[in-house]
Amino acid sequence: MVNNLKLTLMEILDGSPKYKVSRYVEWLITLVVLVNCSAVILDSVPEIHAEYKDFFHELEFWSVMFFTVEYVLRVWSLGARFSAEEGGAWKGRRQYVFSPFGLVDFFATMPHYLHMFFPTLDLRILRVLRLLRILKLSKYNTALQDLFHAVHSERRAFGSAAFLLLIATIVSASLMHFAEGHEQPEFFGSIPHSIYWSIVTITSGYGNVEPVTKAGEVIALLTGFLGVCMAAIMTGIVASAFSNQLSRKKAAYQSQLRAVLADGVVSDAERAMLKKLQAQYRLSDAQVQLFIDEAQNKKK
Amino acid sequence: MTNSSTPAVPTSATQRLQRRVFEILDGAVLDGASKACEIFIATLVVANVLAIILESMHDLHEAYSAYFHMFDLVSVVVFSIEYVLRVWSYGVKYAEAPGSAWRGRKEYLFSVFGMVDFFSTVPFYLQLVFPGADLRVLRMFRLLRIFKLSRYNSAMDDMFEAIKAEKDSFSSAMFLLLISCLLFSSLIYIIEGHDQPEVFPSIPAAMHWFILTIISGWGNVDPVTYLGVVLVVVTQVLAIALAAILTGVVATAYTAQVQRREAAYETEVREVLADGVVTEEERAKLRQMQAKFGMTDEQVEAIAEQVNAERRAAGNQE
Repeated sequence: MVNNLKLTLMEILDGSPKYKVSRYVEWLITLVVLVNCSAVILDSVPEIHAEYKDFFHELEFWSVMFFTVEYVLRVWSLGARFSAEEGGAWKGRRQYVFSPFGLVDFFATMPHYLHMFFPTLDLRILRVLRLLRILKLSKYNTALQDLFHAVHSERRAFGSAAFLLLIATIVSASLMHFAEGHEQPEFFGSIPHSIYWSIVTITSGYGNVEPVTKAGEVIALLTGFLGVCMAAIMTGIVASAFSNQLSRKKAAYQSQLRAVLADGVVSDAERAMLKKLQAQYRLSDAQVQLFIDEAQNKKK
Repeated sequence: MTNSSTPAVPTSATQRLQRRVFEILDGAVLDGASKACEIFIATLVVANVLAIILESMHDLHEAYSAYFHMFDLVSVVVFSIEYVLRVWSYGVKYAEAPGSAWRGRKEYLFSVFGMVDFFSTVPFYLQLVFPGADLRVLRMFRLLRIFKLSRYNSAMDDMFEAIKAEKDSFSSAMFLLLISCLLFSSLIYIIEGHDQPEVFPSIPAAMHWFILTIISGWGNVDPVTYLGVVLVVVTQVLAIALAAILTGVVATAYTAQVQRREAAYETEVREVLADGVVTEEERAKLRQMQAKFGMTDEQVEAIAEQVNAERRAAGNQE
C-alpha cells in the first residue's frame, strides 16, 4: 500500500504522461516559482519594499514551506525507483539528491533555514540564492537539454573560437596600451585595463573610450571589425551544431522506421515505440508522414 | 489560401457575380483581374502609410491638411467597399454545402486579415460619430493598414511556418535569456549596488542594464569593482553566444523547411512517374506545388533528374 503510493507519487512528480495530475503539479510549481522570482525582484526596489515588506515576508515563508514539502516528497518517493535487487531505495534517492536538479531544489529551499539559524548572514546573498529557484523550471524544458547537447557536440569548435577570441583580445589590448597608454593613462595605463576596453569593443563594435591617436583609431577599427568576425564564427558553429543534431535525429528515426516496415506488419508495440521516438525527437507529424511516404516509395 | 475546389453550377447572375468577385479578391487563382486588384490595393496601402508618416510632420500637415484629409476620405471609402465586398463574396467559399454561406464569412471576419481590414477602416467612422476622440490613437489604428499588405506576401507565411516548426528551440533560447537576465542582474545589483547606487538602485534597474548589454554589447555603465568587471565581461560574451544561438536556430529552421519541401516534392514526382506517363493534370499539379513552395526551376530539375536516374538504375537491374 505504502509502496504503491510511493510509486504513484514518483511518477506524478516525474511528469509521467500516465497521470493528468502530473501536468497540474508541473503548472503549480512553475507558477509558484514565477511568483517567487517576481517577488524577489520587486522586493529589491526600495519604495516597494517599504510598502509591502510584510507581504513579501509572508509569501517567502509559505513558498519555502511549499518547496520543502516538494523536496521531501521527491526524496521519499524516489525510493521507489530501484527495487531491492537493483540497489535499494537509497540508490534512487542518492541519484536525485546529487543530480543538478536535486542540488537546485536543495539550494533554492535551504537559504531560508540558514537565515533562521544564522540571522547575521548577508541578506543580499540569500536573495540571489532565492533567485536560483528559476532554475527549477529547467526540469520542464527538455529543449534546453537539447540545446546543451548540440553545443556540447561542437565543443571543439567552440574551444577554438574561444581561443581565437582570447588571442585577439590580448593582441588588441596590448597594441592599444602601446598606442594610447601615454595619452590616456586612466584607461590604457596597463594591459589589463585595455583588455576591458578590447572586450567591450569586440562585443559591441564601439568601445567605452574613444582613441585619441591615429594608431589608436586604426586599432580600434580593426578590433571592432574583429568583433563582427567573431560573431559570424560563433553563429556558424551554432547553426551547424543545430542542423547536425537535427539530421542525426532524422537518421535515427528513419532507421527505426525502416526496421519497423521491413516485415510489412506494424504492430501496436512498434507504433507506440515510433510515437515515443517522435515525441522525444520532437518531429512534426508532417515530417513523420514524409518519412513514411519515402520509405514506402523506396520499397516499391 | 485554399480555393474551394470545383465550383457548384451557378444558378443566377448574382451568384455568378459573387463567385467572380470572390475569385478576384481571394487571389487563389491569379488571373489578370485579381492581379490588377492586388496591385491597386497594395499601392493604395503604401500611399496611405506614406501619407500618415508625412502628415506627422508639422509643416507639411499645416500646408496640405486639406489634401491629406481628402485622401484619407477616399481611401476609407475604397477600403470600406473592399471590406463589404469581401464579406459578401466569401459566402461562396463553402458553397457546396447549402445554407452555409456564413461559414466562409465567419471564417474571414475572425481571421487575422479580417480583423486587420476591420480595425484599419472602422476608426474613421468612430471619428465621425465621436468627434472628440483622441486623434493620435486613431492615427495609430490607421497605421494598421500596412498589415493589409501581408496578405500578398507569402514569404511571411513561410517565415512563421519555419519558426513554428522550431518553436521548442526558440523557447529554450528565450528561457536561457530569462534565467541569465535574472541571475546576472541580481549579481550586478549585489556587487555594484553599493558603489553605484544611482545606476543599480534595484534589480529592475539592473535588468535594464543587462538587456542593454545583451543587445548592444555595452550597457552604458562601466563597472567600478573588479568582480563587476568580470561579471560585465562574462555578460558581454554571453551576448555573443545568445545572438549566435538565435541566429543558428533560425538558420536551421529555414534549412529544415527547404529540406521538408524538397522531400515532399520528390515524393510527388515519384508518384507521378510511377505509372510511366505524365498527364497534363499531373504536370499542372507539380507546377502549382513548385509555385507554392517557391522552388526554383534548377531545384526542380535536379530532383526530377535524380528520380529519373534512380528509375533507370532500377530498370537495368530488372
